[in-house]
Formats: sequence, structure tokens, C-alpha cells
Amino acid sequence: MTNIGVYICHCGTNIAGVVDVEALAKRVAKLKDVSLARDYKYMCSNPGQDLIRDDIKHRNLDRVVVAACSPRMHENTYKKVLASAGLNPFLLEIANIREQASWVHLDKEKTTNKAFDLINMAVSKVRMDEPLTSMSANVIQRVLVIGAGIAGIQTSLDIANIGYDVVLVEKEQSIGGRMSQLGKTFPTLDCSACILTPKMVEVSSNPRIKLFTYSEVEEISGFIGNFKAKIRKKSRGLDESLCTGCGLCQEKCPTRVPSEYDEKMGKRKAIYTLFPQAVPNIPVIDRASCLYITKGKCGVCKKVCPVGAIDYERGDEFIEEEVGAVVVASGFDPFDPTSKEEYGFGIYKNVITGLQLERLLHAAGPTQGEVVRPSDGAVPKRIAFVQCVGSRDEHANKYCSRVCCMYAIKNALLIKEHHPESEIFIYYIDIRAFGKGYEEFYKRAQEKGIKFMRGRVAEIFEEPASRNPVIRADDTLLGMVTENEVDMVVLSVGMIPRSDSSRIQKMLGLAASPDGFFMEAHAKLRPVDTLVDGVFLAGTAQGPKDIPDTVAQAKGAASGALGVVSHKALLLSPLISEVDERLCRGCGDCKDVCEYGAIELVTLDTRKVAKINPAICKGCGSCVVACCNGSIKLRNFTDSITFAMLEAALGGAL
Amino acid sequence: MPVTKNIIRINDLNSGFIEELVESGRKIFGEDVLRSVEACIQCGCCTGSCPSSRRTAFRTRKIFRETSLGFKESVLGSDDLWLCTTCYTCYERCPRGVKTTDIIRVLRNMAVRQGYMAEAHRMTASYVFKTGHGVPINEEVQRQRVELGLNRLPPTTHSFPEALRSVQEVLRLTGFDEIVGFDWETMELRGRK
Amino acid sequence: MKEYAIFLGCIIPNRYPGIETTSTSILKDFDIELLPINGASCCPAPGVFSSFHLESWLAIAARNIAIGEETGRDIVTMCNGCYGSLAEANHLLNGNKELKDKINDILSKVGCEFKGNSKIKHMIEVFSEDIGVKKIQEYMKNPLDGIKVCTHYGCHFLKPSEIKKHGSSERPKFLDELVRATGAESIDYKDKTMCCGFGGGVRARDIDVTLDFTREKLKNIISAGGDCIVDQCASCHLEFDRGQAEIKKIYGEEFRLPVLYFTQLIGLGIGMGQKELGLTFQNIPAESLLDKINGRKK
Repeated sequence: MTNIGVYICHCGTNIAGVVDVEALAKRVAKLKDVSLARDYKYMCSNPGQDLIRDDIKHRNLDRVVVAACSPRMHENTYKKVLASAGLNPFLLEIANIREQASWVHLDKEKTTNKAFDLINMAVSKVRMDEPLTSMSANVIQRVLVIGAGIAGIQTSLDIANIGYDVVLVEKEQSIGGRMSQLGKTFPTLDCSACILTPKMVEVSSNPRIKLFTYSEVEEISGFIGNFKAKIRKKSRGLDESLCTGCGLCQEKCPTRVPSEYDEKMGKRKAIYTLFPQAVPNIPVIDRASCLYITKGKCGVCKKVCPVGAIDYERGDEFIEEEVGAVVVASGFDPFDPTSKEEYGFGIYKNVITGLQLERLLHAAGPTQGEVVRPSDGAVPKRIAFVQCVGSRDEHANKYCSRVCCMYAIKNALLIKEHHPESEIFIYYIDIRAFGKGYEEFYKRAQEKGIKFMRGRVAEIFEEPASRNPVIRADDTLLGMVTENEVDMVVLSVGMIPRSDSSRIQKMLGLAASPDGFFMEAHAKLRPVDTLVDGVFLAGTAQGPKDIPDTVAQAKGAASGALGVVSHKALLLSPLISEVDERLCRGCGDCKDVCEYGAIELVTLDTRKVAKINPAICKGCGSCVVACCNGSIKLRNFTDSITFAMLEAALGGAL
Repeated sequence: MPVTKNIIRINDLNSGFIEELVESGRKIFGEDVLRSVEACIQCGCCTGSCPSSRRTAFRTRKIFRETSLGFKESVLGSDDLWLCTTCYTCYERCPRGVKTTDIIRVLRNMAVRQGYMAEAHRMTASYVFKTGHGVPINEEVQRQRVELGLNRLPPTTHSFPEALRSVQEVLRLTGFDEIVGFDWETMELRGRK
Repeated sequence: MKEYAIFLGCIIPNRYPGIETTSTSILKDFDIELLPINGASCCPAPGVFSSFHLESWLAIAARNIAIGEETGRDIVTMCNGCYGSLAEANHLLNGNKELKDKINDILSKVGCEFKGNSKIKHMIEVFSEDIGVKKIQEYMKNPLDGIKVCTHYGCHFLKPSEIKKHGSSERPKFLDELVRATGAESIDYKDKTMCCGFGGGVRARDIDVTLDFTREKLKNIISAGGDCIVDQCASCHLEFDRGQAEIKKIYGEEFRLPVLYFTQLIGLGIGMGQKELGLTFQNIPAESLLDKINGRKK
């Protein structure tokens, strides 16, 4: 014999406009074990909540059904009400008579009947629900940050400054990421290195940040509050503890190969650092191009090193770190425009990408900031920028890459300021100048005489003698097809997910959006969370964005991660599966179907039985179905409860 | 008081034109292909790629803009519409996946149905009615064939009158004779100018 | 012995029969036999007839495929236009049962049925894939070293690439590779992938526009130093050959650029003569080219 209280919410007119809430309450009150049924304008309001609380106390209710909006909205609200009134919060059921009834049907009578069925089902369930207690798991109060570009750096600093430890793992030999490759940033034209390097130094000197560079996270196991990460620290070919960063080895190395950091616009040595302010300022030996390693010749770096740090045979190291939360800040790659064959990238020497131009413009770049063109080293005076290369394109990437309009305008302005006699053209479909100061920046570019040509470039060909690229495009504003012979073309390529993002995705069990970037838990309301509890996203790994948005999101991710690791223990939902070890045959079928890896087979006396990890189990019920002899049940969603709900739905026809 | 003459009243345009386009091409291409014209953002890549646009008044992009907004008479009566060589370059490059060449062909079909068919095109069609070939053989090439060791006539409808009758029957069944205005009795085009 | 059904179209049997005899005889050397499709008609020319009435175009194309299927072989054509017409018809009918039934309803009245079980292929595929560049190289008796060829791929074999699926249409390589296999050099020229101007019914209705296309291509080829143009499409072939005669007549400009179908080029490489290749029947004499080839031999 139970005392069930049912509360039917009007939700203003959202529910009451279609469902006859008063008649419904009268009808529900007649159900077995329902002591009272009320209808009220807004159950989620304070007076609404008080209604429930008072009834629990004064009318001895021991079960509650709230018929209102989706449990995703207010289930927690009502749970708290029950708890505050001394009732176990799991003796609550929500009947969704809004999203599942009043919001999707038009016929008032039929909808009211459907609402009745939904409430009846909820009553059947709540009648048989058992009181449950949340379990708790210990939390390791450290955060793993994957990627040390500006996003990873910002997240790490925020977490460390609040007082929690960070393990920061960076794949490249120095932290700084893509931002370190940039010269000046829009719209302020401040120098990227100048604003980045102080943060880099802060990271390296912060005692709470354990930094692994030239390292990759190879495996992660565990669950929120308890992750175990296996990190591969790749061999630099030298003993870091001895290296002083003097740079002699790099100076004397005879081998020169195209530099990836310079986007192949310049060369580097076989033993090299990425840039002068690298953190750490320790070089790496590129095993593929080192003469000693590949041919047994040279060995000059070892000879000249004053502290004897070179160690060609040094192997990779493996380190394990335990953390409570993970932030993925693995960044982006630029789109490779080779596949846009009509633009001739890789065929015409004087067609380069936006990031390649960025390296040319960089004061510490391969040409010390002087923009010269690849075919003959001449200073180009007539330059065309082509927008939307590989972006907004059904044949490449459908999405807009967000930053290209601004970076093209920025670079155009920089060139124009350096060489006022230059003639610069930007070929666009739309100019997206959405941020603070961006539209003003665009206007400034126009005022400086940069010509904006509205028309998506159709094709680029080359004048064979001069190697001048020629752009062919419809000037949609003039209504005439145009040809424009220039000295150099810059393709404004978009951002794509980093090449190793699918490996990280698999490793963490993350979802990807249709555009390939890591997917956030909710597009609007949970932009830094993922659907894997305890794993957060920051920066361009989640989608194309500029530096201001990256830093803001990084700070958001820090906050998310801190939400986990700032607690010594986490409450786990008890709405999970439970194994009856007396019945379990240890067949392992449940383990095979569990998508989350929550089930293990353990030894009990002489038998094998299934053990469910309460921190990982999501209560999906797949194991219940797979179980060969019914030894697993889903708490508060047992077969008996399911049948009771079915009976209620079918009007007792079972 | 001056009267504005050089302005387009959007209200006066034929807003049902897209539906007519869809209806005309739906059975062959499917609705999505025709509706793709609405995805056009007028980026101009088609026109920039078009070998006709850079030597005539034809602007690929304008055809799609006018179609989308409903300039029915202007599009269907256009001479420029017939300057597309169906080279498919625009089709390959359109970033919005607009099925350019398919739409142009359907517009042409609609124009033909409205009576806009060039005399030269009626002639080409009449050759097919008469011989089964758009480019029928002539005396000189018959001689060349023999010199090369081939039969005087190729094993096509030229050599198989039964096959020619089949082709003619098919074109009767599809109504092509009515569309072109071909008279089976005279075996000539009606009202030849 | 490999067998294909050969779809002739209009222009090759009725204007350039030399292309047919050349291709057939070379294929024989590679043990490939071409079976006739008796009673085939115009494909019908895709840009032209589909512009007038799509259903009529489709019905006639389907009839051609249907009678070709009766040979039990895959169908090969030598013209991009015929290829485009038959391949697109094949694609549309195989992808839409309602449409296929409708067309077959019409075809049943003339005693045939489109089944969709023959592949539609282009002669260039037979040479590129069935035979291959290496075998062509070995086949050469007098490799055409020193000859500068400008290739013209045409439009309807490669495009639309989502249906034709022969790789990218922007920078194709296979025709250039076949040319190189003969020992000749394939050189680049401005707007190499541009249309010849014939298609879409433009030649019939606005020949001045078509000839402007052709003239531009010819000028670009001459500018780049090409000794001849090599094509893979009967329509383009007619356009460049007859077109030069028309351009001379209307504009007074003369190019005298020999126009070769790719099998005619291969034929030159095995010592076939002008007459045999059908080159003497063409509007533009191939003398200059042969002189250059023979000159090199000495």
C-alpha cells in the first residue's frame, strides 16, 4: 500500500492549452494507490515545489509523479524537493506530457487521453520503484590536457592558478602550437609571439604544470575521476637533462631539409628547434634526415656539443599518469589545396597558402618577414587572395572556416603597409567580419586601397614565361568575367581536423560532428563538454575559431574540468545495471555488448561472474537483454516494472 | 512628377516558376536536382568557368538568379540560354552543388514547349526523323567508306529501314513529332521558314 | 579474344570513317574484336536532343543501349558525345525504376527492352586499361619522337565526374600518357581543358560562337608550339578539322593544324599510311606532320 501524489503542470498554456489538466487530475486521482492528484500552473516554481514538499510531509506521500515537461529540464529540481522533504529522490517519476503530448499533437481529447496513459505508466513504475542511494567514487584531483597550443596553455594556466595539478602533453617538440607560427594577429595587429610567449614561459615555470613535450598520449583507460593515461615520450636523440639549449648542434649540422614549421617555405637542419622562443629550448634529431642515423656518417652535432648531450640511440620513454579529467585541445591542420586542382597549388610555384604567406611575413620566418615569391625570389607587387579554398564547398568541406576572411584582410593590410605601391585583390563570396573590431578592420582595408572582388575564383592558370599566375573569375558585381594576371596568389585555406584526431577520437570514445571536428555535448548549452563524462574540449579541435574564441573556450574547459577535479569524490547515478552474482554464469555476453566497457569478468570463489563498474555504467540496459539467464537487472527498470507500464499503456489488456 | 521606369517590381515576377521547373524535370532527374537551383549563392564560379560567358552575353549565374526569382518570360525567351555548350565545367565546380547543366536543359525543354525552338535545331531534329541520324551520310563519305573497305552504308538505321521505323515510332510515342512540328505525311517540318 | 559491341553514332560512320577502320585494325592486333550493333541510330547527341525534349532523348538512347545489350557484350563508343549520351541514360534508368518502366513501356512497342546489364565504355578506356601504355609502347614501329602533340580531352567522357567516375576532370592524364607511349611529347597549352564549342546545340544555332571557341583553342595550340591536335571524340574531331576550313572561309584565318583521333596517332606510330588512316579524307592535310615524322626517321 503506497501513497502516490501526482502533480500535473499546466506549464502556462504549453500543456494546458491542449490537455484538459483539471479533468485529467480528477481522472488520475481515481487510480489505485494515488492518494492525491493536483494540477498547478508552474510546478517548477517555488510555490509549485512547496506544494509537493508540504504534501509529502502532511499527507504522508511516499511516491511522487510529476506530469510536466521533459525530465531533462527539471528532474533534478523535483529530486531535490523530495530529498528536502526527507523522501528518497529516486521515488520520483516524470511523465513527459509536454514534449511527448501537448507539443506534438493537436487534438485536445486524444492528447488528454495520451497524457493520462503516460501518467498511468509513470504511476505503475513509481509504485514499484525502490529507494536508491547514489554511490561515490574518489576523484584524482589532476587534469590531463592534450595539446599545448594557446588553448591547452590557457586551460592549463587557469587550472594551475586555481590550485590543481595539470599534466600537459604536447606532440611537437615545443609548446605554442599554430599561434606560434603566426606573425601578427587580427584585428589589433599585435605580434603573436609577443602575446603568446609570456604564457608559454608561465607554463614552463608553473610548479603545478607537469609538461611533456615531443610526447603523445597513446592510451587512456578509466572513467570520470579516475583516468589512467599512458604517455609516449618520443626520443629527441639526446639527453634533455644535459642540454643547455646553446644551439651549436643546430648551427653546425650540414643537412638541410624542407621545414614543416615553415610550411615548406624554408629549410631546417636535421637537428633543430622550431623557433627561437621554443619551450623547451631543446632540439630534436629528425631520424629520417640525420646522416648519422641513416648512413652512419657525419656525427658533427655529437662532436661539437659542449656537454655531451647527443645520444643517437636513446629510445622512447613511457610514462603513466593518473588524472580525474581530460581536456582535448589538439588543434587543427590547414586544408591542403592540392585537391582543388583548378587552382594549381603544387603545380604553379607562385600559388601559395595563407599559412605559407604567414611564415613569409613572420619576422623570424624563412625570409625574415620579407614577402618574396617562390619562383624567382622577386618581391610580388600584385597579389591576389582567393577566399573559401576548401571551405563552403560541397566538393571539399561544406562548412565555413570562420577565420579566413579576417586573416586574408590582415595579411593584405600588412603587405600594403610595407609596400604601399602593391596592388592587392581579395576574391570573395562573402566577407565574414563578425567579431569585435572586425568590420572596422575590413573597412580600414578598403580605405587602404585593397580591392575586394566579389566572385568565387573559377580557375588559375600560369603565364609560362613569367610564371605569373592568372586568376579567372566572374565579377558578380559588374556582371562581367574577368582575368587578372598577378605576381603571386595566396589561397586562403580553411581549417580541418588534425590528422591524428581520429586516433584521439577512438582513444577517448569521442563523437565527431559531421564536419569531422570533435563534437560538443550540446551545441548551445554545453560547448566545452563532450558526451564522455570527464572529457572536455577546447580550441580549434572542436571547430574553426579565432584566438579570442579559443581562449574563451579554453577558460570554459578549465572550468568544466575543475567542476570534476575540485571535488574529492563524485556522486554516481545508481540507475545502473546490477548483477545477481548467485545466478550469473560468467558467460561474458553482457561484457561483449556493453558499449561503454563497464563490465568485467572477475573471479568469485571458483567461478567467473560479471562485475559492473558503477562509474562507467550508463544504465542503457543492453546487458540485461544479452544476459542468457536473467541475472542482470536494471535498477528501477526491471522486467516487472516494464510489464506493469505496458499494462497501464494498453489499458489492462495484458 | 517623374515616373520610375527602371525598377523591377518583385510582386510582378512569376513566383511559381520554380515549381514549373521542378514539374518539368522531376520525372527524369528527380525533384532534388531541380530544386538545387535554390541553393545558389550567386558566387559566380559557374560564370567564371564558362567558356561561353567570356565571349558572349550569356551569364550562367544570371540564368539561375532569374529562374529563382521568377523571371519566366526573360529566361524562357532568352537567346543566351542556348549558348551553353553543356561542357559541365560549372557543374563540376559549383560549391553549392547546383545541378547547373541539368537545370539549363530542363529550362530549354520548357522554352521549346513554349515555341522557342531555333529553325536550325528543328532541322537537326528533322534529320533524325528522316534518317535516324542527326548527321546523316552523304555521297562523298559513302565513296570514302568503300575506299576504306567498309560497306557503303553503315549498319545503322541507314542500312536497316525496320530500325528507322522503330526510331520514328519511338519519337511518335514520346510526342517529339508534335514538339518539333514534324509532318509525317510530307516527311518535312511544318511551316518551314 | 575480347569482344565489345561497337556503337558508331553519326560522325564516325557518316563523316570520318577512317577513325573506325583505324581503331578496328589496331584492336585486331591486340586480339580485341568489335561486333556491330545493327540498326543503331544517332545516340542521340546529348546536349542537343536533351535540350529539346529529355524524354525523347532518353527513349532513343535507351533503344540504342537495348539493341546493344542484345549482343551480350559491353558497349564501346568512339565519341565523347555518344559516350555521354549512353552513359547518362544508363545511369538515370538504372537509378530510377519508375523511369525505367516508363521508357521500357515505350520500347516494348518497338520490340526491345532496356535491361541495364551492359557497361558503357569509351574507346580510350579500351586502350588505357585493356591494352595499357606499356603494350602500346612495345607496339610502336616508328616511335614519334620529336612530335609535339596538344591533346584535347573533350567534355563528355569525364564530366560530370560524379556519374562518369573517371577521376578528376581538371587535370586528366590518361590521353597524354597514351600519346607519350607513342614516343611523341604531349605539351601543355592555355585552356587545355576548355570545350571545343560544338556541344549543346550551339554549333547548329550559333556557329559563330562555336567557331570562336575553336579558333581560340587552335590559337593556343599553335602558340604553344603544337604540331598537331590529338582528340578522343568524333564531334571534337569534326569541330577542329572541319572547323578550320570554316574559319578559313569566314575569317580568312588559316591554321593548317593536323587533327588526329588518338588511334590515328597510334596508327602513325606503327607505320600506317595517310590513306589507310583516313587522313587524306580530312579537311586539313596531315602532310606537315608526316614530313616531320619522316624527317626524323632520316
